[in-house]
Amino acid sequence: MILIPEVLTILILNVIFTLFSVIAFFLSLKIFLKWDINSNSTLQYTLEKQSYLTATIIKYIFIIKVPLFLFFIFTLDKISNILTGAMCGAGVVDATDYGNYLFVLKIINLYIFAYWLALHSEDMKHENQPYTKAKFGFFIIAFFLFISEIVVEGVMFSSIDLNEIVSCCGTIYSSSTGSYISQIFAMSPTLLLSMFYGIFVLLLIFYFLKRNYAFAISNILFILISIITLITFFGTYIYELPSHHCPFCFLQSDYYYVGYLLYTLLFTGTFYGITSGFINTSDTNRMTNYKKSILFNFLYIALVSFYPLSYYIKNGVWL
Amino acid sequence: MIELINITKIYDLNKNDQVVALKDINLSINEGELIILKGSSGSGKSTILSLIAALNKPTSGEVTVDTKKISKLPDNFASMYRRDNIGFIFQKYNLIADISVKENILLPLIPLNPDTGELDEKLNIVMEKFKISHKKETLVKNLSGGEQQRVAIARANVNNPKIIIADEPTANLDEKLSLHFIEILRELKKAGKTIVVATHDPLFFDLDFVDREIQVSNGTI
Repeated sequence: MILIPEVLTILILNVIFTLFSVIAFFLSLKIFLKWDINSNSTLQYTLEKQSYLTATIIKYIFIIKVPLFLFFIFTLDKISNILTGAMCGAGVVDATDYGNYLFVLKIINLYIFAYWLALHSEDMKHENQPYTKAKFGFFIIAFFLFISEIVVEGVMFSSIDLNEIVSCCGTIYSSSTGSYISQIFAMSPTLLLSMFYGIFVLLLIFYFLKRNYAFAISNILFILISIITLITFFGTYIYELPSHHCPFCFLQSDYYYVGYLLYTLLFTGTFYGITSGFINTSDTNRMTNYKKSILFNFLYIALVSFYPLSYYIKNGVWL
Repeated sequence: MIELINITKIYDLNKNDQVVALKDINLSINEGELIILKGSSGSGKSTILSLIAALNKPTSGEVTVDTKKISKLPDNFASMYRRDNIGFIFQKYNLIADISVKENILLPLIPLNPDTGELDEKLNIVMEKFKISHKKETLVKNLSGGEQQRVAIARANVNNPKIIIADEPTANLDEKLSLHFIEILRELKKAGKTIVVATHDPLFFDLDFVDREIQVSNGTI
């Protein structure tokens, strides 16, 4: 077990989260099974009180948990300083069998938690609380993912062996490995970039046409292509090294922590885009979410595009 | 139209010391009516008022106001309902002692964020109506009991609510001030307000402008 202050903070928070989420889980189960907004029974009034308490517990867990993702990345970076061979968070993720699963789980949960918060926010805007049953039902599913993340996180931190030499990101994200990552590198950058900018154009088209589901699905595609192009193309311009494809190194001070800004813009933009398609909200709210999504996604595009353009302007050549 | 349908209210439900405040009561109050709820302390009068004002929720049953199910409202909507519809006069006035009369009266308007002109207009109307204009800048703690009650009434009316609720409004007043309060009630009734007063003060009984007197005892009517 590696016990630096950042890991201890995460573990202590996880214990607190587990305790409260278990309480919220059993209350959610009861509310989900017995909720009937039209009933005037004692049970329904009790559930209405409990739903307020339960939603508050869940809300605060998720409100803390969403930004904690950035703290988790920061912690990986801190651990890489004491883990032999690791140059950044990538080495830490790869140091155990659980790192990659945890990372994927955390990204999925990030959207699930944020979606729950959006659903709750929408529910609280209506007198008849139309999403109450749905949001507690959704939490019941989210709870298992949430607990899985906590368990895998604990197992990952306890599995890190400081005496073992781990791979650095240069090896993990090398095009010469036989992994799925190398297959991505084999794809044509022109094709990937066309898809990247093309999907953003699609987002704009669906925004003007007000196609909710198409807009949401385009956002899902946008996050996938954004991460791929960040690793294969844009990242190399941030590092100014054509062979370096790490999605973690630009979170370090050498690159002015730009990775935190990039990921925040990308996750925020796509989150607004995805939720506005899947929550039945008023047209005004939906348009506001669309605009936020477009704005954050555009800022992400502008920022990642800045690096290759400035490199070309300075040097007159592409990498 | 206010309707209480099969209302039961139990405080500290499922605890050893649970108190049954109301037992399956039904009550309808028409728009513009003035109702006196009379009964001894602990009979359930204040609980009825708190349910109409959405300050409390029943254990079972339903409270509706103009067909809106107010007993089912989430807290944020209950607050809006109170802000827009209810003027509440409390037994102990519930004023903030260390701020001025003007500031106390304007408190219910703050969440609406009105402009200064509108605030002044509403303030002046209620201050003149309840004869408290001369104490506008005085701190509430420096007022007499009767003046404090007039401030409480002014505050309850500043939003021009359609329902006025008064809980033992004359409990801290002498007879002269109580009679003055009754005159104010008469004016409010003339203005078309729906008024529900909980009291055991005999001065309120058999008044000519009261529509109904309802006896509340042991949680029943």
